[in-house]
Amino acid sequence: MLQREMEQSMTVDGVNRTSETELTLRSQISDLARVPPWIEHLGLQYSLPSSTTFAMDLCLEEVLSNIIRHGYAGKTDRPIVIRYEPVQEKFFVLVIDDEAPQFNPLAAEEVNVEETLDGTRVGGLGIHLLRQFAASLKYEPTPAGNRLIIGFSAAG
Amino acid sequence: MQMATEQLAGDVTKVVFDGRFDIAGADAVDLKMNVIAGSKKFVLIDMQKVSFLGSMGLRTIVSAARTIKSRGGKMAVFGPDEEVEKVLTMSGVTAMVPIHHDIQTAIASLQ
Repeated sequence: MLQREMEQSMTVDGVNRTSETELTLRSQISDLARVPPWIEHLGLQYSLPSSTTFAMDLCLEEVLSNIIRHGYAGKTDRPIVIRYEPVQEKFFVLVIDDEAPQFNPLAAEEVNVEETLDGTRVGGLGIHLLRQFAASLKYEPTPAGNRLIIGFSAAG
Repeated sequence: MQMATEQLAGDVTKVVFDGRFDIAGADAVDLKMNVIAGSKKFVLIDMQKVSFLGSMGLRTIVSAARTIKSRGGKMAVFGPDEEVEKVLTMSGVTAMVPIHHDIQTAIASLQ
């Protein structure tokens, strides 16, 4: 279903178009460059605090790069759909859908930051930052793949 | 991400970053930062113009700090904005690389 949505979101000029509150990416690192301007636009449109837009930017960079590198494992034409939902019970919400094999990033072991910084353990900082900057995190397996729901405090 | 270097008194090398320290930003400066980490002993990272810092940017900083420390040197960060400083603090990097908001104090911390 996501693949169809992505195809529908592409216009005749071949450029990905998106509704104001939804962004569809291809599974390639270069597509991550489209995220910051989209968040900046949301911030202006919905008067989001700068701390919230920074947290959204950071969480999306970590989640999306993880989906592209590990979930889709090098496939560059797979869809990732990000949807913004305005305030819901004190949270701004981002919903991220992909069609990668099911994987719950929230089940990952909490990183030992000291070991990571010492170089004795590789990786894990991304999910650590996600947990620190998100106000809420929820994972749902979907028939197509994965859904991650990230809440951000409306209080900034 | 732009990167510039400046040699200061006391054998201190100031590295000025300008832009987003995201995946693309880290890719753009990793090699140059490796050269500095492998050749300079006292390094001050000027982050006043860094608007974003993600885990890949953190890795660049931590990797350089580790190399410099292994060579008996020191590294410090100067001037990050509130959100970038929060990333540095929450990731625990400040245990290895202290943050300063006064340039003279930052330079003195390397001596």
